Amino acid sequence: MANTLRISVDTGGTFTDVIGIDGETGDVHVVKTPSDREDPSRALLTGIEKVLTQANRGFDSVEMVVHGTTTATNAVLEHEFGGIGLLVTEGFRHIIEIARQSVPDGYGNSFFWVKPPRIVPLHLVREVPERLTYDGSVHRELDEAAVLSAVRELVDAGVTRLGVCLLHSYANPMHEQRIGELLKEAFPGLFVSLSSTVLPEYREYERAMTTLLDVMVKPYCRTYLDRAHQELRARSGELPFLIMQSNGGVVSARAAGEKPVTMLLSGPAGGVLGAIESARGAGIKNIITLDVGGTSTDVALIEDLTIRLTSETVIENYPVKIPMIDIATVGTGGGSLAWVGPNGALKVGPKSAGAVPGPICYRRGGELPTVTDAAAVLGYFPASLVGGDLLLDRASAHSVFHEFGANWDLSAEEIAAGVLEVAVAGQVAGIRQVSTLKGRDPGDYTLVAFGGAGPLLATEVADFLGMTSVLVPPNPGNLSAFGLQVTDVKRDYVRTFVRQVADGVDAEVTPVWQELERQGRDELSEEGINAAGVELIRGADLRYVGEGYEVSVSIPAGVSNEDSLAAVTAEFHAEHDRIYGFSYEGKQEVEIVNLRVQAIGRLHRPELVGVPASTGPVEPAARREVYWRGVGQQDCAIYQRSELGAGSRISGPCVVEEYGATVVVPAHWAASTDSFGNLIMVRRQA
Amino acid sequence: MKTTLGPIELEVITGTIRSAEVEIEAAVERAARSPMIRDQHDYRVGLYDAKGRKLTGRSYGSLVEPVFEFFGDDINPGDVFFWNDPYNSSGSCGHVPDLCTTVPIFHEDRLLGFAQVFGHHDDIGGCVPGSLPVQVRDQWGEGLVVPPAKLYDRGVLNETAFRIIERNSRLPEHLRGDIDSEIGACQLGSRRLIELAERYGVETLESAFDSIIDNCAETIRRELLPKIADGVYTFEDYIESDGFTRKLFAMRITMTKTAEKITLDFTGTDPEAEGPINWAIDYCEGRFVRKWLGPVLRCLADSPERAAEIDINEGILDVLDVRFPEKGTLVTPHFGRPTGLRFFILIRSLGIFAGVLAKATGGKMPADHETIRIWGMHSRETDGKLSLFREVLGGGGPGRPWADGSDVVHIVPNSRNLPAEFSEQRYPVLVESLALQTDSAGAGKRRGGFGYDKRVRALRDCFLLSNADRSELAPYGVNGGVAGQPYGVSIESDGGGPRSLPGMVDDVPVRAGDLVRLWTTGGGGWGDPLDRETELVHYDVLCGLVTPEAAESEYGVVVTGTGNDLVVDADATERLRDERRRGRDTLGMFDRGEHFRKVQSAGGLVWPEGWSDPDDWPAVTG
Repeated sequence: MANTLRISVDTGGTFTDVIGIDGETGDVHVVKTPSDREDPSRALLTGIEKVLTQANRGFDSVEMVVHGTTTATNAVLEHEFGGIGLLVTEGFRHIIEIARQSVPDGYGNSFFWVKPPRIVPLHLVREVPERLTYDGSVHRELDEAAVLSAVRELVDAGVTRLGVCLLHSYANPMHEQRIGELLKEAFPGLFVSLSSTVLPEYREYERAMTTLLDVMVKPYCRTYLDRAHQELRARSGELPFLIMQSNGGVVSARAAGEKPVTMLLSGPAGGVLGAIESARGAGIKNIITLDVGGTSTDVALIEDLTIRLTSETVIENYPVKIPMIDIATVGTGGGSLAWVGPNGALKVGPKSAGAVPGPICYRRGGELPTVTDAAAVLGYFPASLVGGDLLLDRASAHSVFHEFGANWDLSAEEIAAGVLEVAVAGQVAGIRQVSTLKGRDPGDYTLVAFGGAGPLLATEVADFLGMTSVLVPPNPGNLSAFGLQVTDVKRDYVRTFVRQVADGVDAEVTPVWQELERQGRDELSEEGINAAGVELIRGADLRYVGEGYEVSVSIPAGVSNEDSLAAVTAEFHAEHDRIYGFSYEGKQEVEIVNLRVQAIGRLHRPELVGVPASTGPVEPAARREVYWRGVGQQDCAIYQRSELGAGSRISGPCVVEEYGATVVVPAHWAASTDSFGNLIMVRRQA
Repeated sequence: MKTTLGPIELEVITGTIRSAEVEIEAAVERAARSPMIRDQHDYRVGLYDAKGRKLTGRSYGSLVEPVFEFFGDDINPGDVFFWNDPYNSSGSCGHVPDLCTTVPIFHEDRLLGFAQVFGHHDDIGGCVPGSLPVQVRDQWGEGLVVPPAKLYDRGVLNETAFRIIERNSRLPEHLRGDIDSEIGACQLGSRRLIELAERYGVETLESAFDSIIDNCAETIRRELLPKIADGVYTFEDYIESDGFTRKLFAMRITMTKTAEKITLDFTGTDPEAEGPINWAIDYCEGRFVRKWLGPVLRCLADSPERAAEIDINEGILDVLDVRFPEKGTLVTPHFGRPTGLRFFILIRSLGIFAGVLAKATGGKMPADHETIRIWGMHSRETDGKLSLFREVLGGGGPGRPWADGSDVVHIVPNSRNLPAEFSEQRYPVLVESLALQTDSAGAGKRRGGFGYDKRVRALRDCFLLSNADRSELAPYGVNGGVAGQPYGVSIESDGGGPRSLPGMVDDVPVRAGDLVRLWTTGGGGWGDPLDRETELVHYDVLCGLVTPEAAESEYGVVVTGTGNDLVVDADATERLRDERRRGRDTLGMFDRGEHFRKVQSAGGLVWPEGWSDPDDWPAVTG
């Protein structure tokens, strides 16, 4: 049989989700296997083997493996900081100590706020005699001997990973590249990241931090990806092994290992892509994604089914300036703990019961009340979850909530409903970060809810935000793995190039864009995508002269290369007006800051498979008492998602059960299934 | 869903109001035009209830009282109130560049509360660009003064008033854009309160407001006040110059602490100044300054994380009272006295409050830090346009019982410095070094944070400006900790040594090729430097932050070797430390540095009648 099976692997904290889709037959195989924290490649292989067994196929039938991984993120979250060094230009040794002099949050926090430890302690930062100016010309030659002796000292002090960030290297990478060559020869085992390779963009502190995060995660990512690739190769021979990046596109495992800082959002990116694909099927263009996991919730805002990238991402207080999907993360998920705060306040999260001991009702030793237990107390869940594998202990959850509610003289049900409401209020704040904070009204978007607990809370989140429609894709628990199936190869290129937009600037700008395009074509051809199949999108970051921040825009489809500059300028005025509510078109000079190119190699997508049309009104599979806040216990219809056909309609209050998720439909909501099996919930007029 | 107030409603309402504050801030930053607001983040927002009580508490705020005072019940949907008058706004605006916009919030016909934004605008007229003249003798020279007015009346813009305001700014488009953004941001905040009223009902919402305010007072009373010993305490600190005269301008307070309350009396504060360092806060029972000072109490929380959680809202008024002297002092200036540079005394007041608290808590407060100074270089482009390179530079944070001071912090949250790569693209300068100033931090068991050592070479003839206090007096050290180093600025020309300049200058010529060097204040130290762990001193020396000489003279730690071979000589250190301990007097609670001792011994410090040396207080060690 031909190699037609595309396999996607999404490694999560608890489970590794694997999906195999046959490009010819459209057959879908879905598998869940426990994640392996020690060596994630073991779970990856186990998952793939399970899919092949289910499909009754061998490794020779695999077309490609696409992988979303949290290896890079975990290295950052677990503070794997030991043995990192930094080389900088003379005079700038304190660059990351100083950062941008900011103290977070409230006025006067400088009295008590404590500066967090730096990724590189000051004694492992060394200065190099050299200096460039902003136009890239050499002000002072590089002292090569000084470089070697400085790095010798660092290596002697235990440095195994080294970031190099010289002033103005974005304008001329010569000195950094020379350092790269010298180190390769003199210290072959040293992991090195050059700022001019990682992020050739101005602002030295942010570029240094991005470079340091890159070199920090490098050994972990390379070791893992190499091992996984080797194991795959041993079984199936050479085949494409593609890694999801933070920009929503994939690259080869080798390329990912070269610049692993691009993998920081590899995990959550798949879910966003899956949500977009579901919305496309449903004919919806503008969505907000709600991906509720065990410990946290990821949200993103999508317009015209197009990912919005931001270069303002902050991970653990560290700025990462490479383009990433604009995702906000909130510290509440299904495992979040409810507790009594100061002044007797009811608090939910950010502490979580995690996978172990987990919620009380999962019978793994959990004793503290969680969001999931609250849902169990209210009667949202059947007697067991994930197809009968997980037998729930609702009684224990109930008795803990009974005690917990006694803190305020509230019943178990009243406090359980309150825990969900408080959890939801946290997620609402996260959605406002990606919507109202960017000038968007959530009421104009459809909420796409997935992850284990997303469909449980979705309507409540929507009610809070004035959103009137919610989409729950089929298999919401596996949407991230599905999203990995519908991606393209994508690489971003940037170069800082500061010029005022004026007559004749075209001639200076065009060669830079062309150079970035050439780089894109070359690197995608190394990924095995021929030049004809490469799509190149020019973009730029611009600002009004005198302003200290830029707006990033891309050229709309259909604009010819000759009109690029005019097009980005026009887009800039429009986007500025959209985000900030004003533009200075015709009044203020515009300045280019960065030129960008995104190179895309389109991969073919599996066809979405529809569900059969419904054959009449759906009958509830069961009825159960469910508690609703302000109403009390109510006898409700319980539906099985698998029994809903295209066109099926149901009304709240009811609950829809499926493998891996539970959809709650309150009384003022109604739901219907579309031809792709999406459950579309709509709020009824009050 | 209409409900009565329970823990669920209270938590959701509290959380929503807190996140609404962040949202309003983001809306201001998104649409404002003044770099002071957009980049330096010099603005504050607030949500208030219908009685004008402040509900939010991430930061201090202005007041709503001027609306009641000037308009009584004439408050309607669509109104926008506006003012910047330091003397006619219940003390809610310190200087004229702070423009305050207030929007009433209605749910149906009922007044729910107010949303407010006030920010530091680029220019509102006056005798110098930027509306912060140093040498000015009255308020009329500082810019246009607007008493509380309705900029919009039931949704209708008072076009005439707006035009007058705009016409008085050198940057009218910025001003208009800023005001529009502030109104828009207030409206966004208003929607959050209205949504809560719709969800839970007005009565529930209003009971939640009561609880939010009561909880603040209760938290302070239960968590913070018990850490302060009852009694009467005094403290003082000084401003170096009012733009005309260099001398010590003293601000003094007497704190009376009882189990339930703190009262601060400013009697003894020096007479009002000729120049713009006055601060008119003796209005409306001092509500503005009480809310401004209240957050200092958060330093007494069990941990810095807990401190960051405690919002200080209107509830502070229940536990913090103030008393003022007669008219005519720095804090009770007569109508019309200039106030533009009142940020020196504003920052000083925090340090003075922290100082009395240090005495009353056995030294368990942070030391002093000075974080606001503006420096810059201005010149003419070849086309005659003004090129203004201007930056607010932070200083070293205070040493405190729980940690060393953070380096180069700025008291204004999220305010940022200028990257060298940005400065060099934009201005004719070469940034030769952006570093931490060696030995600038005040020594202590927990030392202060380090200040900047910034060196900038001018590539074109230009003028230097520096607007800084604490260029002679240093941020004080606490509980045996040593004062940090003061601010300094110098110019070094080819062939000559560096020339030091005073902290407050406007237009010192700088020639192309000259090197301008600035070093900003180090934070005061906390605790006895001889108690600092030797490995921490060793590490600071290893990092080049503390010289071996200072390790020995300040900390009594003897180090030998260099680089990876640097070690502490444990025996010599122990001997030296013993010797020092034996040879010195009892440690004082405060150290104000070398310059202060000089001024004091030269008789430059005169206490008012009945006032004794507030520094005469021992450190609490061991």
